[in-house]
Amino acid sequence: MSISRIYTGGCQCGAVRYRAEGTLGDPHLCHCRMCQKAAGNYFMPLANAPRASFRITRGEPSWFHSSQFARRGFCAACGTPLFYDMPGADFINIVLGSLDDPYDVRPLTQSGMESCVPWFSHLPGLPGKETDAASDAGAERHLAILETNRQHPDYDTEHWPPEE
Amino acid sequence: MTDLVHTGGCQCGAVRFRVEGVLGDASVCHCRMCQKAAGNFYLPLVSVRGARLTWARGEPKRFQSSNAVFRGFCGDCGTPLTYEAPDGVALAIAAFDKPQGIVPQIQWGTEAKLPYVDHIPDLPGEDTMADQDAASFLATLVSYQHPDHDTAEWPPKGRE
Repeated sequence: MSISRIYTGGCQCGAVRYRAEGTLGDPHLCHCRMCQKAAGNYFMPLANAPRASFRITRGEPSWFHSSQFARRGFCAACGTPLFYDMPGADFINIVLGSLDDPYDVRPLTQSGMESCVPWFSHLPGLPGKETDAASDAGAERHLAILETNRQHPDYDTEHWPPEE
Repeated sequence: MTDLVHTGGCQCGAVRFRVEGVLGDASVCHCRMCQKAAGNFYLPLVSVRGARLTWARGEPKRFQSSNAVFRGFCGDCGTPLTYEAPDGVALAIAAFDKPQGIVPQIQWGTEAKLPYVDHIPDLPGEDTMADQDAASFLATLVSYQHPDHDTAEWPPKGRE
């Protein structure tokens, strides 16, 4: 027996929202250069959801066909990478940082290691600071950002953006 | 790190940038706004405040994520490209053609750091071609990604 559950997520601005029910399979990071470039990042974190239980609940993603086999979904209004999709497959891959609760899905493997940046394993050892710790000016700016944050909250909303 | 000209751009090649001069601070930011903007666990950024940034092809589309900050991305393929604050612009490190040379020195936004993120380098890893299921798929795959160097014309003729 397995427990079915609901995952929600979406882009930064909230124009695209999605929902998947069930289990997210094969949570992993892909370091291949195509995932890097699509993500503007060192890797793309992905897990797959059964297509039958997946739906877009607000807006529509835009798609870039990165090869003849795969297309990558993103929000045309804010750019957040959202999906890696092979249209013939019975599942769709979700970009894990777009989940409302990314704490929830822990990656288990890495692929595309041939393109892994050489100092990747050193990142956890870098000195770390909280966002508002930079300087007085930084702290002030961080506060201003918190007060004027236009990011969609990490849960579904009935209306978005909020009425001014 | 001593290269004085750096190039890069989005996955599809509609937006290309060129940076002349010395790159500034390189970092990864774990804050929830960078996570969500990137759809990722963190966003690696390098400041180009002290260098000259030009858009060599196209220009990013921008989302104003707060009153202080705009975030640029490719409107055609979505690659996150910029973080634009009043005191300067930072570019997404992995969007550079040679990201290997831009080594992050600090982590920001650690209040939102995901609990498993430091363990990622220890996860079992495989090369793309080691996956038997993927090998046949990759043998016939034609990448539509822009190459990691400037091109005179893009996309190549014959491809829409």
